[in-house]
Amino acid sequence: MTKITVNGREIDADPKKPLIAACHEHGVEVPMYCYHPGLRPVGSCRICQVEVKQGDTPARVVAACRTPIAEGMVVNTESPKAHDVRRECLEFLLKNHPLDCPICDKAGECDLQDYSFAEGQTKGRTHEPRRKLEKRKSLGDVIVLDEERCILCSRCVRFFEDVTKQPQLTVSDLGSRSVIATFMDKPLKGNYQGNIADICPVGALTLKRFRFQARVWNLNKHLSTCAECSRGCSVTAEVLRGGETKRFRPRFNPKVNQWWMCDTGRFAFEHVNAADRLVATRRGAEGLAACDLDEALDGAAKSLRGKSNVALVLSPFATNEEAAAAKALASTLGAKTCFVSPTPNALKDDFLHTGDPCPNRRGLTDLGFAGLAADDAAKAIGGASVVVFVGERVLELFGAERLAALANARVVVFDTHAANAPAVDVCIGVPVHVEKNGHWTNVDGHLGRLTIARSAPRGVRALEENLTRLGQLVSPTGAKA
Amino acid sequence: MKPFEKYLLNRTTLPNSHTLAVYQANGGYKALEKVLKKPMTPAEIIAEMKASNLRGRGGAGFPCGMKWSFMPDPAKDPRPRYLAVNADESEPGTCKDRVLMEKDPHGLIEGCLIAAYAMKLQAVYIYVRGEYRKSYDTLLAAIAEARKAGLVGKRVMGTDFSCEVWMHKGAGAYICGEETGLMESLEGKRGHPRPKPPFPAGFGLWGQPTTVNNVETIFNVPFIVERGGAWLASIGTQNSKGNFLCGISGHVNKPGVYELPFGVTAREIVDEVAGGIWKGRKCKAWFPGGSSCALLRGEDLDVVLDHDSLRAKGSSLGTAAMIVMDDTTSIARVMEIIARFYDHESCGQCSQCREGTQWLAQIFHRIATGHGKPDDVATLESLAKGMAPAKTICALADAAAIPTLSAVRIFKSELEECIRQAKDPLAPPRIEYAGAH
Repeated sequence: MTKITVNGREIDADPKKPLIAACHEHGVEVPMYCYHPGLRPVGSCRICQVEVKQGDTPARVVAACRTPIAEGMVVNTESPKAHDVRRECLEFLLKNHPLDCPICDKAGECDLQDYSFAEGQTKGRTHEPRRKLEKRKSLGDVIVLDEERCILCSRCVRFFEDVTKQPQLTVSDLGSRSVIATFMDKPLKGNYQGNIADICPVGALTLKRFRFQARVWNLNKHLSTCAECSRGCSVTAEVLRGGETKRFRPRFNPKVNQWWMCDTGRFAFEHVNAADRLVATRRGAEGLAACDLDEALDGAAKSLRGKSNVALVLSPFATNEEAAAAKALASTLGAKTCFVSPTPNALKDDFLHTGDPCPNRRGLTDLGFAGLAADDAAKAIGGASVVVFVGERVLELFGAERLAALANARVVVFDTHAANAPAVDVCIGVPVHVEKNGHWTNVDGHLGRLTIARSAPRGVRALEENLTRLGQLVSPTGAKA
Repeated sequence: MKPFEKYLLNRTTLPNSHTLAVYQANGGYKALEKVLKKPMTPAEIIAEMKASNLRGRGGAGFPCGMKWSFMPDPAKDPRPRYLAVNADESEPGTCKDRVLMEKDPHGLIEGCLIAAYAMKLQAVYIYVRGEYRKSYDTLLAAIAEARKAGLVGKRVMGTDFSCEVWMHKGAGAYICGEETGLMESLEGKRGHPRPKPPFPAGFGLWGQPTTVNNVETIFNVPFIVERGGAWLASIGTQNSKGNFLCGISGHVNKPGVYELPFGVTAREIVDEVAGGIWKGRKCKAWFPGGSSCALLRGEDLDVVLDHDSLRAKGSSLGTAAMIVMDDTTSIARVMEIIARFYDHESCGQCSQCREGTQWLAQIFHRIATGHGKPDDVATLESLAKGMAPAKTICALADAAAIPTLSAVRIFKSELEECIRQAKDPLAPPRIEYAGAH
């Protein structure tokens, strides 16, 4: 560590990183467009100019992203000179910017907008019409490019060069005619395209699936973990007030995913936004009918009380907390346990996606649950008199046909959606992963945290709570039933 | 003007001066022989270069011997190392290197070989401007000839010294004449200049130690080796040594490339060498060293054309490419053309340059076509101040801002008059080119 002074405060800076990183790590705001901590710095936008004094030489205004840390350097980010240079730079950046913030999806989280508000002059001096370029150029299935908004920071170009190591984008043409382009207008490919919309400091690159969907200031942002593979990338779940999840965006986690995530995880809304969520149903004279939670739990207890040869099948999406509650219930019931292990998919790559669609395999295995493919799980519970299915999407992964084949057993279900098989006695709703607190253990043993980004449908309670209550109902003393 | 000895252009007037036979018959490759056979050590050559105080002729005027000494010692740093010769001569007004390459290519090759020996490197790249087809072809033929004669390639002149000289043709971008842009282009990438540091001597071509020199600089090397650094240091003024090539263009009777010693005044060049201003007119304004230097007034012609004197006048020597304009010239139109050039040639990396050069071009175009606004001159000045100095990765933004600032300073009233009258009183007949605004 090297000692430097920033705005009168002495700080310890990492000499391997550029000056701007030291400023950011110590809470000093320095604007940036082309610099991104995950990408090679190029120093082209010139907005991060700060005043630096080294030794006896007079203070100079330099680009902080290309300035190495040197012992004893004195940095002033707020000097009038640095301010002037940044304000001039900002005026140039806005020269051809269309200022269509009212219809721009980035508005509200746009670095250019934010810094213009903070620093810029309110009046433009240009008499010329702004540059007219392609306003909605498709770059494949994921991304739309607005060439007019682009400030040519080249972050997207460098993302494919430095991070996925498969260069696909380039800056084409020269000078004020420069545009971002792919070779011969080929569409982008790969599972990581969405990241360039995140790192785009302006609204030039937007996600086709997020375009005109929400104003970002209406999105409630909560930390979460991606459910699509055992990497468990740290994400932010962004939810509209109505409860619809609009975005998953990667959240910086140095141990797991850095700043990135794959498109599979980014667009995995189908399950979390599914309609017709189950609260509770119970089999009566007319078949399965909606009931309240207490009735359903009573029904479940009735089905289980006094039964031997019980099996408990857990969802691979169960959190460690839910799995612990399931384990306690299983020991009360004397049940044998397993979790449904989905088959690996072909999305595995050498960057983030592990190809294993089970986000908590490691956590469940550590708690003593064996992961079985649906067929093997069906075999393993073959002779059971009662089967308890526990956790979101467990029935979907187990398979309706296998459930229908369980003719000789009674079935209790904790899932997001009801099942209508003759064997099913009771169905009780569970929250999906954006509706609960808990942890998943990823493939490398790092804990990924889930928090409640939106409330579960009315009447749906936390799974571990229901499992504990069911255990108490079956055996009030806690002894083995 | 005092009489002086020419050395740079002596051979160029001979018939078939581009051939090896004529070159050798006129003392060619003697300096290389002296270096290899005597032999001189690399350190001795660099000492001679330093003693000569030869300053780079590419525009910045950095001392050449000093630049060479920045190359790391190969005993400590065994990486491959390169010399890149900047023959991407595309500054408006500049045409001096072309004469050397077309008429005396072996002089350049010999200089390259000596420089390679001095910096202990084995590969030289000559990056020629794409439009210079004849230069390229001539140099290519000369290299083939020299290779056949055992002067280029393995075991030069039968000694242990080996050096390859490769040619590379640019694709017509001004920015590839910037040393780091040139290296990017040589690597096969877009000619986007790199931020410095790291400097080329540590991290240049393909990340290896590299020196980039101008053609005329390298061309001086054999003469310094042959006659000694002290000889060159005896010519010229205090900080500008030797003869230089002055390309004079514009409204003079005899435009061309002339060899002159440092110390002559611009007026001597215009009147005695270039035959005076044409049509008996007066000089209104002139660029001393290509369009990237500050404009000077006609009255300033008495300045000595060297680094220090021009700096004192607020301009610079650049590539010593004088552009002379007579008193009928419209400054608005001149600046429109120059600003358009920089807008066209900006690489587009840095915000100030990409947008600023376009903005300047738009404003000058408006003024020159009679659509100027009252605040335009003030805007021009503040834009140019926002672009320079040293606010961007390379000096192209400075190159666009410096002539703008000087035009606004010196010819403010003329520009304001264009705006007030809503037409340019000196406007020449307009020829609109494809791609004009």
